[in-house]
Amino acid sequence: MDNAAAGLEKAIEIIKIGVSDPERDQLHQELDQFLDWLETMLEVDTGDLEGLLFSHDAANVLRVDSPRQSDLAELQEAAPNFAGGFYLVPKIME
Amino acid sequence: MELRKTTVHRVTEAVLEGEITAHQLIDKTLKNSNILNEGLNLFNAVAGVDAIEQAKAIDQKIKQGGEPPLAGIPVAVKDDLCYGVLPTSLGSTAFSEFISPVTAGAVERLMDAGAVVIGKTNLDDMGQGATTLSSPRGATANPWQAERTAGSAGAAAVATGICMLAVESDSGGAQRQGASHCGVAGLRPTTGRVSRHGLNAHCSSFARVGITAFSCENISGVLDIISGFDERDAATAVCRDGIPEHIKTPGSEDITIGYPVTAFDFLEPELREVFEQARDDFVGLGYKIKEIDLSLLREGLQAYYVIALAEASSNHARFDGIRFGKTGEADNLEQMYLQSRAEILGQEARRRSIFGTFLLSKGNYGRYYRQALKIWQMVRREFEGVLQDCDLVMLPTAKNLPRPLQGESSFLDEWSDDLFCAPVSLSGLPALTIPAGQIEQLPVGMQLVGPPFSEKTLLAVGSTSAPRPAQE
Repeated sequence: MDNAAAGLEKAIEIIKIGVSDPERDQLHQELDQFLDWLETMLEVDTGDLEGLLFSHDAANVLRVDSPRQSDLAELQEAAPNFAGGFYLVPKIME
Repeated sequence: MELRKTTVHRVTEAVLEGEITAHQLIDKTLKNSNILNEGLNLFNAVAGVDAIEQAKAIDQKIKQGGEPPLAGIPVAVKDDLCYGVLPTSLGSTAFSEFISPVTAGAVERLMDAGAVVIGKTNLDDMGQGATTLSSPRGATANPWQAERTAGSAGAAAVATGICMLAVESDSGGAQRQGASHCGVAGLRPTTGRVSRHGLNAHCSSFARVGITAFSCENISGVLDIISGFDERDAATAVCRDGIPEHIKTPGSEDITIGYPVTAFDFLEPELREVFEQARDDFVGLGYKIKEIDLSLLREGLQAYYVIALAEASSNHARFDGIRFGKTGEADNLEQMYLQSRAEILGQEARRRSIFGTFLLSKGNYGRYYRQALKIWQMVRREFEGVLQDCDLVMLPTAKNLPRPLQGESSFLDEWSDDLFCAPVSLSGLPALTIPAGQIEQLPVGMQLVGPPFSEKTLLAVGSTSAPRPAQE
């Protein structure tokens, strides 16, 4: 297994998405095509240029630090399951 | 009153002056939407009683002396924008019954101005795509040729005259390409002009909320209403003290349009001819044309996909069956996660999330992701550079005519359709799609791209120049 194939297997494992064997095979083929497609981007001489991290200049925007009360009843109503003051979720401890 | 043949201003005037009530207008709109939805697959959910109640409330407000500036205007909302009345599916069957506790900021503003939401429009799998071909509910057909995709259901809803406006997300070009394929106008605004609150973005860096309408005039009529600071979206802080408009009087010979010669080499000859004609039409209208070079379109597209996939892998992490989405049936926790996520994310969203995780992993981060961030910087600088020499840039919107609903295409073919839109997304600049011409009875759109907050200039130029394709 080459590096890309091993990397893809690792990605499938850590992202926790169930994929069937046929889909897995297809993903391997498609990843190879995708990486080939990206080759021209890799050939661009970017030198010491800093990468961009934000698409806008509004960084660290602060709002007035004043307490506000949310409508808890509205939020609780939107939850799939709320009872006894708790948001109930499926069991996540084994 | 046929909505395709009039304007937002005229309809509002008619409602305010009592020629037609908002109730009558919306009632007729809903009947039309039910008829057309069956043939074109426009809506994931249609508002019935709620829209009628909204319309009645507007009529009541008018009786009491109110003058809502968008009184009774029917609006469609893309189904990745939250609306607290109808389900917000995000393009996944797992959320087909999810009703958000919030309504998107842009939608709220339109409703406050008297507009009425008539439905949630179809979209690709988790909003990822510009064809609707990956929608779990099936693709939306093009109103011009039903065997082809519309690109965006909102644009199709506007083109058919069901609604006058569509509020749509646009990351790599879905809204703009939909407008191009359906022969209508679509504005992707400058970063920070319109609130993204309530938008379920797969790609936070590039997702914006735009407006699609039958004409530039109709977009102009709502731009100020949806624009401005919203404390729930930090990017709008640039508008905290007002919109920093960049307006240049259009129609004069002082306007120079940049024409990126080599960009058109990516097109088939018949498409290229459409843009050569559009360029000549601009000259005929008195605009100056300056040949420019945009050399990084292909690499910009590639960088967009690297960043967008990386962000999707992170943004989709919350769809795990615990925090969001239906919980899959399984014997143990590991299987429950695998099952839930496989059911929530469709094939396109799974592919993008998995590839995104790959790109962010050790060894690949530096090779692909870091390089993509640098290309992002270069593309932004390239656009800034050409806009030093011209007032706006014209570009194609879509690389191809709309895809056939039944055709075979690879994922890379479909991603490559974003060639002219994705680099503009990287630039952060506003882009207006307007009709440029027609091929094989299908509309072809072009983009006008300008400096930050130049939307009003783009709309003014667009409204003087756009030869609207005629469709009966």
